[in-house]
Amino acid sequence: MSKKNFSIMVMAIITTLFIISASSAESLKIGSMSPLTGPYASDGTDIKNGVLTAIEVFEKQEGGIPGYDKIELFPQDDVCDPRNAVAAANKLINLKVVGVIGAYCSSCTIPASETLDEAKIVMITPASTNEQVTDRGLPYMFRMCGRDDDQAPAAAKFMKESLNAKTIFIIDDKTTYSQGLADGVSKNSKALGMNVVTHDHVNQGDKDFSAVLTKVKAANPDILYMSLQGYSPAALMSIQAKRMGIKAQIVTQDATFQPKFMEVAKDAAEGVYLTYGFTDPTTPEYKAFQQIYEPKYGKIAAYATYAYDSTIALLRAIKAAGSTEPDKIKAELMKLDFNGASKHVKFKENGDSGSSYIAFKVQNGQFVPYWDPAKGLIK
Amino acid sequence: MDSFIQQLINGITLGGIYALIALGYTMVYGVIQLINFAHGEFFAAGGYVGVIFLSFFTGLGYMETHPIFCLTASFALAMMYCAYLAIGVEKIAYKPLRKEARLAALLSALGVSIFLSNGLMLTQGVYDKAYPSELFQGGFNFGIITIGYLQVLIVCLTGALLVALNLLVFKTKIGMAMRATAQDKTMSALVAIGSNNIISLTFAIGAGLAAAAGIMVGLYYGSVRYDMGFLPGIKAFSAAVLGGIGNITGAMLGGLIIGMVEIFGAGYISGEYKDVFAFIILIGVLYFKPTGIMGENIDDTRV
Amino acid sequence: MAHLELKNITVRFGGLYALSELSFAIHTGEILGLIGPNGAGKTTIFNVLTGVYKPTEGDVIFEGESILGKKPHEIFSRGVARTFQNIRLFSKMTALENTMVAMHCRSNKGVMGALLRTNSQKAEEAYIKEKALEALKFMGVVQFADSVASNLPYGSQRRLEIARALASEPKVLLLDEPAAGMNPSESSELMKDIARISERGIDVLLVEHDMKVVMGVCNRIVCVEHGIKIAEGSPQEIQNNPKVIEAYLGQPAAKHD
Repeated sequence: MSKKNFSIMVMAIITTLFIISASSAESLKIGSMSPLTGPYASDGTDIKNGVLTAIEVFEKQEGGIPGYDKIELFPQDDVCDPRNAVAAANKLINLKVVGVIGAYCSSCTIPASETLDEAKIVMITPASTNEQVTDRGLPYMFRMCGRDDDQAPAAAKFMKESLNAKTIFIIDDKTTYSQGLADGVSKNSKALGMNVVTHDHVNQGDKDFSAVLTKVKAANPDILYMSLQGYSPAALMSIQAKRMGIKAQIVTQDATFQPKFMEVAKDAAEGVYLTYGFTDPTTPEYKAFQQIYEPKYGKIAAYATYAYDSTIALLRAIKAAGSTEPDKIKAELMKLDFNGASKHVKFKENGDSGSSYIAFKVQNGQFVPYWDPAKGLIK
Repeated sequence: MDSFIQQLINGITLGGIYALIALGYTMVYGVIQLINFAHGEFFAAGGYVGVIFLSFFTGLGYMETHPIFCLTASFALAMMYCAYLAIGVEKIAYKPLRKEARLAALLSALGVSIFLSNGLMLTQGVYDKAYPSELFQGGFNFGIITIGYLQVLIVCLTGALLVALNLLVFKTKIGMAMRATAQDKTMSALVAIGSNNIISLTFAIGAGLAAAAGIMVGLYYGSVRYDMGFLPGIKAFSAAVLGGIGNITGAMLGGLIIGMVEIFGAGYISGEYKDVFAFIILIGVLYFKPTGIMGENIDDTRV
Repeated sequence: MAHLELKNITVRFGGLYALSELSFAIHTGEILGLIGPNGAGKTTIFNVLTGVYKPTEGDVIFEGESILGKKPHEIFSRGVARTFQNIRLFSKMTALENTMVAMHCRSNKGVMGALLRTNSQKAEEAYIKEKALEALKFMGVVQFADSVASNLPYGSQRRLEIARALASEPKVLLLDEPAAGMNPSESSELMKDIARISERGIDVLLVEHDMKVVMGVCNRIVCVEHGIKIAEGSPQEIQNNPKVIEAYLGQPAAKHD
């Protein structure tokens, strides 16, 4: 068979399959967008898994959406790269999805949401904490996680009041998220009278932090604030800091909230503090999520819970709207008021759903709630 | 001053790792004029084989009783695995293209790189894999300076491997055959040096060294992940070019320079621009000496 | 007795005949000269003999066996060594290494042996080194043993190339214009060397433009033109052959490069 004939045959087969799959069942299409490859593949995969779990739970326990045989997910890989994010957004528009859960990196959510907004597609981010995500006045942009301008003051307040810090050494890895947060922490710490001795930067994908940590050791600050995107560099930096004998307390943020952090950093993770939205693991909603998620995907990690809640919120709104019309879905989203697995979900006018940042401490390989900005130490 | 010495030690450690990886690029280039972009993946694969065996030994409790044996065995197995992997890659992806334009093999190399790194992702998962942490914690303390036991191990082992490679290439018959093949493949073939065997051997040695570097990185930084081959691969490639691609001594030198510049750039200027400094040095050297520090007239190595 | 023989060889590149129906043989113990004007096909003959080109038609017989289609290195291992018109040394390796490399085919120890430095490995390397030095001594370039090949004087590089070929212990040696670029005293020195090589029991096929060398050292001469053999015989016969004279008409019969 000639090459040409062969390729025509392959195309014919693919087209046929496509027609069969398209006509066999009426499915409700939703998209997800997160890094499934590249440095943040693990966090991105957590998000995808959270969405899949939500779809499963929603179909089984809430009976799916009337008029559709099933809910179909089109997971997109944005590699935490803005260009890929925009391409993924366009692809989802062409697939005619009703809503999108994502993205992970703020630097992807921001451009992708503008593209999706033009097509009037609802986007709920489970993970992008940069202020700009909801501060641009996009009508279809929602956020399940907290905001950096809530997280940064909480972190600064924690360092000042609970850790009695005077000097802080800040390191970020120059992503929209990590740098934005680091700048916020720097500003808030100074406002509270603490001294930011140095604000240094590393690169995404770095493994060797010995040079910057040698500077930390020489500066001998009270606090080493690590603003890094993902648990992986945070674990590496903690290990290297411990090995160098750095005495400073390590404080970090939501991106590190991943059980893998302790698995990789082991002893070096012990005693590390981080700020993260408070999730009560004893609620029935959380347990219901845990029961489905953990046997399939392992321990619940950073953004899986938020991704789950985002998806549940989207699906409930679509069901209540009884339509896939964007404005009706948005109206129903605004009406939602329910206990999610991560927190109580109620969207505000700008699309935010509120922050509940508290400080956690790593103890015996677990994230233990440690300090609440409102109440102080948690017993 | 104390910081300076500490940074120097950090630089030597990082540079040694780059040097080990850079050798694979330079040796393969020397023999078949191919930039083997898949080389970084051998490094990652080595790190994974290492963690699999070290965790296995630790699980059995042998790590406590026979640490030297376990380490040696893990290194040997990882190096052998990657050597065979590299030979296979060469046979499947490069050998059929040897007579084609060089661009074809280069594209094939990029493809293999993507294939292997995604293969690692699919089989080993997207999450970091932690090395057993009980290994070689602590170090020697001299005031503010800390030299980790692992740093000592890495520097010594790297040194030993570099010496062994030099002996092999410059003092043995096989090494002579390798150099002959690198210089003139047709002539070498005429004097009955099986160029296929030599090319396989070159890939195997390069990948073996990269695998050793992979385990060291795993031990030193505490974990490996599927995409770990990319950045060090690029840096090591730059090191090979800096030193003069095709030149073994040059690759070692280039690795050390890139490692040092990175550490000192991050330590004394700013961490965010450390790669920029490394590439400024690279561009600077290539501007004045286009074939790299130790590089000779490239035409010499061609047939 | 024919030691190395070409039988009805035709080499065609597209529609162009480089050699057509060419036959001749190198007999045991002789020095055979191969002459002809530029482009007559002499180098093509070398490439056919050493397995670089596969002839379109015909057969190559070595020691009573066809070596047609064998790889260059197989033919080399069987004992057919050559030198090149343009020097093909490993320019960055020492003279000794250049010579030792050629003996690769005479050894059989693998990588592990080389790495572990086994006794048999050491013994073999010592033997190879001794043989290589002997070859260098034979060609009078032993004083350059440890010099990098590209640093050798031109004439010595030519001799080193011959030494390298000799080190492989060949039965037949093919020399492609060994006197090219040599001054008269060097080329008369070379003639003596070729005679000495022959005395060692190695058959020689010599392609050379320098007629003084060819006539002075060869037992027998074959002349080709446009890929066709036009004459074969003793130096005297060739010198008086009208076809040969015609082929070289307009060109001085001796000494041109």
